[in-house]
This record gives sequence, structure tokens and C-alpha cells, in this order.
Amino acid sequence: MSLRNEGWTESEINGVSKWLIHHAALQAPESLSSRLEEEWLADLECRSTALSRLGLALGCCWATVVIVNEFSRIPAPAATPVVTAKGYLTPADRNFGYFSLRSGTLFLILGLHGAVFCGLVTTLSVTRGLAAQPSLPNQVLNPVPIEVIVLPGK
Amino acid sequence: MPERCGSLAANLYLSYTLCRLSTMGKKDTNVRMSLQTLRVLEAFLENPTVQLAGAEVHQRCGIASGTLYPILLRLESAGWFVSQWESIDPSSAGRPRRRLYRLTSTGLRRASEVFASFNRGVLA
Repeated sequence: MSLRNEGWTESEINGVSKWLIHHAALQAPESLSSRLEEEWLADLECRSTALSRLGLALGCCWATVVIVNEFSRIPAPAATPVVTAKGYLTPADRNFGYFSLRSGTLFLILGLHGAVFCGLVTTLSVTRGLAAQPSLPNQVLNPVPIEVIVLPGK
Repeated sequence: MPERCGSLAANLYLSYTLCRLSTMGKKDTNVRMSLQTLRVLEAFLENPTVQLAGAEVHQRCGIASGTLYPILLRLESAGWFVSQWESIDPSSAGRPRRRLYRLTSTGLRRASEVFASFNRGVLA
């Protein structure tokens, strides 16, 4: 299965890659935006195949997320949060503060595991409690009459 | 129960410390070390005077671009690397300029210390 069979030409993939890089660079801090775009476009030219170029472009998108996160924690003038005219937060405003992105992810995963564990423990304890409750009331049984059978010849 | 909570808190603190492992450096050149960072440094330490672009570092280390460029910027902002544009004319060359990275004297010294500390740890 090649990309040409899927209807994608190499020029189209290159165009998508360049668009991704341009979009990723726009999300980067303002002081780094133009530099990163030119640097990434130059490195894009060094890639031989279209797929590796697309991979580079996708990696640049992820790199922007990491760079924005790191620069938002550095109190530099170029990295100060930008208040947009639209009034909502830009990715540059994201400040995880005390935790790094990796630590935050770790605690998020730990929290999710803890929530699932607590849910399982709660559910299972309720289920076991319901199953342990006797559904039959105690009642006194009538005595069974005992019959003595006398065998013939004894 | 309190002992369990204490051990859990200790484990969580240990995990937090490992995740924010920003050791191996003084405060002025604080760099978070990872295996990928060490591989980048190793590529530059093969020839400390050479200038490498991101694409060349990728070819030598095989690190994905999403990891590589934040490492390069991190090391540059810490003073371990300096970078400059390639001295070509983009219009005549027909391609954009590459950004070339080079180890600084501080970076060379600190990277050597890092690898020396690893050697000491292995030998100990």
C-alpha cells in the first residue's frame, strides 16, 4: 500500500508537511517562531522521502508543545503570557507551575489508576456485601416422625 | 495504615524527584538529563569543534524531531550550545538556511563531567 495508491502525491505530502511546520512555528513563542520555522524548513529539505518529511513535520508539532510548556515556565520577557484580543488563553499561557509536563502526566496517570482502583474496590465490596446477606429467614423445622421398620424374621 | 500512607508518600516523592531530575548541573546551567540528551551530547563530543544542524544530529542519533529540537533549545538556553545560521544566501542556494549548533567551552566541560560521572558510577 503506497501513498500514491491512496491518492496522495509527493508534492501534496510536502505541502502538508510545510503547512504543519508553519502552523507549529506559529504556536511557538514569538521570539522563536520565525527561527524555528526556517530551521525546520531547512531540515525538511534534508529528508529524502515524503514520509520522513511528514514525520519531521509531525515531530515539530510535538516539539512546539514541549517548547511552549518549557518557555512558559521561564520568567523571560519573551516568554511572558500574551493576552489575546479574543480573550481566551493561548498555548503560551499554559503554565503548569510547580510540576513539569512529565510530572503532571505521571500524577494524572497515577490519579486515574487510583480512581479506577477505588471504584473497583467500592463496587466489589458492595457486591460482596449484597451476596453475603442471607435471603432466607430462619425458621424452625417440624420434627420428622421416626418410623421403626421391623424386618421379617428378626 | 499511617505507615502505609507514609511509604506511599515516600514513593510518590521519589517518583516526583525522578521525574524532575534536574541534577548533574549547577544552578546556572541546569539541564534536565535524559538518555536522549546524553545521545545528543555524545554526538557533539565526537568532534567538539564541529557544527551540526538538527538534521545531522537526527542522522547520527536517530532521535525523533519532537524530542530533538526541545533538547537543542534546552541546551542552548543553558549555555551548553551556541547556534548560528549557516552562511549561505538562501535565494542563491535554493533552500533555507540551516541552524548550526556547536558546543561551548562550558558545554564541553559540563558534558565531559556528566560522562565522567557516569564512568565513575559504573566503576564504583
